[in-house]
Amino acid sequence: MASAYYEFYRGSSIGMALTDSLDELITSGAITPQLAMKVLQQFDKSLADTMVKQVKTKTTLKGHLHTYRLCDDVWTFIVKNPSFKMESSDIVTAPRIKIIACKNGDSLDGPKK
Amino acid sequence: MSNKIVPSIYRTVIEDVIQAIKPEFDEYGVDEDVLAELKRKWQEKVLASRVADFDAPQQPPPPQVPQLPQQHHPYPPHPMHMMQPHYASHNPYGAVAAPGQPAVKAEPLDGRYMLTSGIPYALPPLPGPSLTNGRQLPPPIPPHPGGQTGVLSFPRPPPPSAPVQTSANTSPRPAQQTQASGQPAQQQQQARIPQVDGPSEFSGDEETPSPPPSQGNFAPRPSHPSLPQPAPAAPPAPRDDSEAINSELDDSDTEGEEDAEEGTVGETDIVFCTYDKVARVKNKWKCILKDGMIHINGRDYLFAKCTGEFEW
Repeated sequence: MASAYYEFYRGSSIGMALTDSLDELITSGAITPQLAMKVLQQFDKSLADTMVKQVKTKTTLKGHLHTYRLCDDVWTFIVKNPSFKMESSDIVTAPRIKIIACKNGDSLDGPKK
Repeated sequence: MSNKIVPSIYRTVIEDVIQAIKPEFDEYGVDEDVLAELKRKWQEKVLASRVADFDAPQQPPPPQVPQLPQQHHPYPPHPMHMMQPHYASHNPYGAVAAPGQPAVKAEPLDGRYMLTSGIPYALPPLPGPSLTNGRQLPPPIPPHPGGQTGVLSFPRPPPPSAPVQTSANTSPRPAQQTQASGQPAQQQQQARIPQVDGPSEFSGDEETPSPPPSQGNFAPRPSHPSLPQPAPAAPPAPRDDSEAINSELDDSDTEGEEDAEEGTVGETDIVFCTYDKVARVKNKWKCILKDGMIHINGRDYLFAKCTGEFEW
């Protein structure tokens, strides 16, 4: 089960904040890299569980698909002029956005059985 | 803003991780102070990233002050404070043999104090746990007699080394930026020199003006290869150069695109998510994305489900 959690959320803001904090503690000798890895694994788990349990927001995204790529079950999209329509009907846009999407955990378990 | 849920979710995640990892810290023999420090650092960085409106900024991030004391606090103060009562209490008894006695009695007492003050430091001399503790504290801990000075002096070296590294990490970037920007270069460098004694402050300053997650990305990584990659630091000038060189080898269109992708990973607006379904009919793409963290325009948004429709 422990390995069923994706690590790629570590690249998010909160994940990078944790990674940097752990780096500092390793550098100062307060913790070992092994322990830091445990913390990151716990983060993978906590984040995924919290997202599933507590986030209910639905959004839609439109834009011009500039690049698409499927490698090792990971989709990468680069969307030009994306516009996210958030639930509160406000729209967030940007010149371009990169989407990294791993296979959903539910469907991930399916083939394994 | 529709990223209102972000602060509470992030808090939940932080609390959850810290709670759940406590047993591991115990198992590794790491003091709970360190865990608290990790939590504080983490919260501070998330707040400083300003990816959402964290309504209650409990700690108005003064990065300079906390960092140094943190590292000093847990260890040195304890022995220091405990030593004084120790001498005071023993002098009345052995007032005559003042010079000799403290030295003799200091050894066993020190051992005890070490045990009480910081378990990780006390254990290393023992044969059994020395393995785990050896990992944790790189320099070997001297045996009992020298142990006291070891405890006192050991925690100090790391803080300087850490600041030095961070300042070394950050300084090359300013140098590159200054090369690009030109005039304010010397002023900035001069201004930086006094800040070297508080490198944490410097890094903190750095985080505030621009989106910090990106800074966080760059600070450790490009600095390790000793700043040979000019792409993130000084985008305009090097890109011209690289294009001039690579244009013969590569398709210039995609090359520029790739540069933009890889070079500015941290600054790029990005979505981390999972996908349920990705479908295409001719040039129309439809995908159903789940559990996403959007980082766009320096802010974070979360979604449980996102329906994407693109034209290629």
